[in-house]
Amino acid sequence: MKHPPPIHLQGVGVSYDMRLKRKRSIRRSVTHRSRIDGKGHFWALRGIDLTVTDGETVAVVGGNGAGKSTLLLTLAGIITPDEGSIQVYGNISTLLHVGAGFDDELNAEENILLVGAFLGVPGSIMRKKIPEILEFADIGEFARSEVRTYSSGMRARLGFAVATSVNPDVLLLDEVLSTGDASFRDKARNRILQLMKSARAVVYVTHDLASAKEICSRAIELEGGKIIADGPARTVINAYEKKMRTRGGAPRAAVTPTRAATTPLRRRTRKG
Amino acid sequence: MGHLADGKAQVLSIGGGCYPLPTMRTASLRLTVGRPKRGPIGTIIETLHSVYQRRRLLLYLTIARVRQDGSNSLIGNLWLIIDPAVQLAIYYFLVGVVLNRPQANFPLFLFAAILPWRWFSMALSSATDSVRVQDKVMRQISFPQIVLPLASVAATTTSFCFGLIPLFSLYLVYPDRLTLWVCALPLIIGIQVMWTIPFAILLSAVNVFFRDTGNFVRHGLRLAFYLSPALFSFERIQELLAPYPPANLLLELNPMAWIISGYRDILYEGRAPDWIALAVVGLASFPFMLLSIYVFRRLAPSFVKVL
Repeated sequence: MKHPPPIHLQGVGVSYDMRLKRKRSIRRSVTHRSRIDGKGHFWALRGIDLTVTDGETVAVVGGNGAGKSTLLLTLAGIITPDEGSIQVYGNISTLLHVGAGFDDELNAEENILLVGAFLGVPGSIMRKKIPEILEFADIGEFARSEVRTYSSGMRARLGFAVATSVNPDVLLLDEVLSTGDASFRDKARNRILQLMKSARAVVYVTHDLASAKEICSRAIELEGGKIIADGPARTVINAYEKKMRTRGGAPRAAVTPTRAATTPLRRRTRKG
Repeated sequence: MGHLADGKAQVLSIGGGCYPLPTMRTASLRLTVGRPKRGPIGTIIETLHSVYQRRRLLLYLTIARVRQDGSNSLIGNLWLIIDPAVQLAIYYFLVGVVLNRPQANFPLFLFAAILPWRWFSMALSSATDSVRVQDKVMRQISFPQIVLPLASVAATTTSFCFGLIPLFSLYLVYPDRLTLWVCALPLIIGIQVMWTIPFAILLSAVNVFFRDTGNFVRHGLRLAFYLSPALFSFERIQELLAPYPPANLLLELNPMAWIISGYRDILYEGRAPDWIALAVVGLASFPFMLLSIYVFRRLAPSFVKVL
């Protein structure tokens, strides 16, 4: 049986209504004037055409605010596009915010079931996975105590273990290889690579260009909410690196000093 | 919200709002702008279906909420019983002793009304924040967000049920007040749930866009408390408000006023509640419920963008 491509996007656009985002509206309306239309909508993505075929691992690179995270949220079905169409075939798993959905008052086991319920995994399946998840998270005696008593590293490990306990067809990753301490990071990396291998399609947003080149087969570069480069990972990322270097280091550096000063702030809010 | 009014944003539904993960049937996400509208009824049915599919999530969230109240305290979940009892004692002192307008068997008179009111107000205030505080998980997992306010209602319903313990222990003091009409209690509780849920759903959605909803809710609840027969009997309130027609109208439009007198009729007076009023209130809750589900579902796609 021939499968349709796992991910197929056609002319996808996502807009944010700046009137609803009062907090950031003034800064954005200055720095991103060109992306705001007459109605005050900020287009985080516009006119995205993307087809990911079976077995492809796509790295998404681009400066801050280029629309990378919005693209992932859209693929995950968390944000609905305002124009165009999107089709994702298969089970989707997202690793965007590790540890999301935990409740402080529940212990590890109950939290695993809670997150499983958020994901829509039947309880019987999730219950079988508990020992495996606890072992991977390596939280030992603390499995019986409430999550609020955990150190942030333990929390992150448990969150990572839960989120990666299911094998998805379509895997969406956002800079998650840096969880926990050094030894766990290796373990996490291996787990991710394993998931990537078994998934039909992977979309990986990262600033770690070296690992992207190594892991991914294809890369796309986003800028200003549009795809400006698409091709084999090595070619696209090398070109991107070169461009960044000529611009003088950091992404988005080709701006006036006042705008540059706002960049770190924006980075934090975009990721949050 | 202006964004939704925009005719172009006609993206409807995400295949039930949930994608079962591996090892289960293959689900797919298919979103197309401008595809046939599902219409209000389709949207509501789809939402109800998605909630049914995530009933376990509702259960876990409810357990977590109930536990939040009891954790980190010396006597834990006993507070579920003690809290309403203390509140009763305070109102008893305030109204019964200081204002000196005791009815016969005043504690029971008071408790029969305050306990359901307390449930209503706790449900609304906790539901108001329910969606907003879960912004992290909403940015990570796609699930029907409507379970969040529903879990708040469910959790406060649980604590209300614990509050029935001190209520019924009052019958040990006033045994002659206990009549068979108590059996109508589940019915009135049901009507109250039917009214609480739509309020909870709407408030939780609005609070995403306007953070000050919580303040409005607090003051609104306080006003509604005094405009309901919680501290005094319905007749007495009507008498007090007679010179102020607008306030009187508010009282009569307040569904909780009718529900609370229903409680008092069966628990305190030991007589049949006003069936017609209850029927009207109960039936009126249905369109309101459907409307709230529809509105929530239409607003839900914007939640992640705004938070």
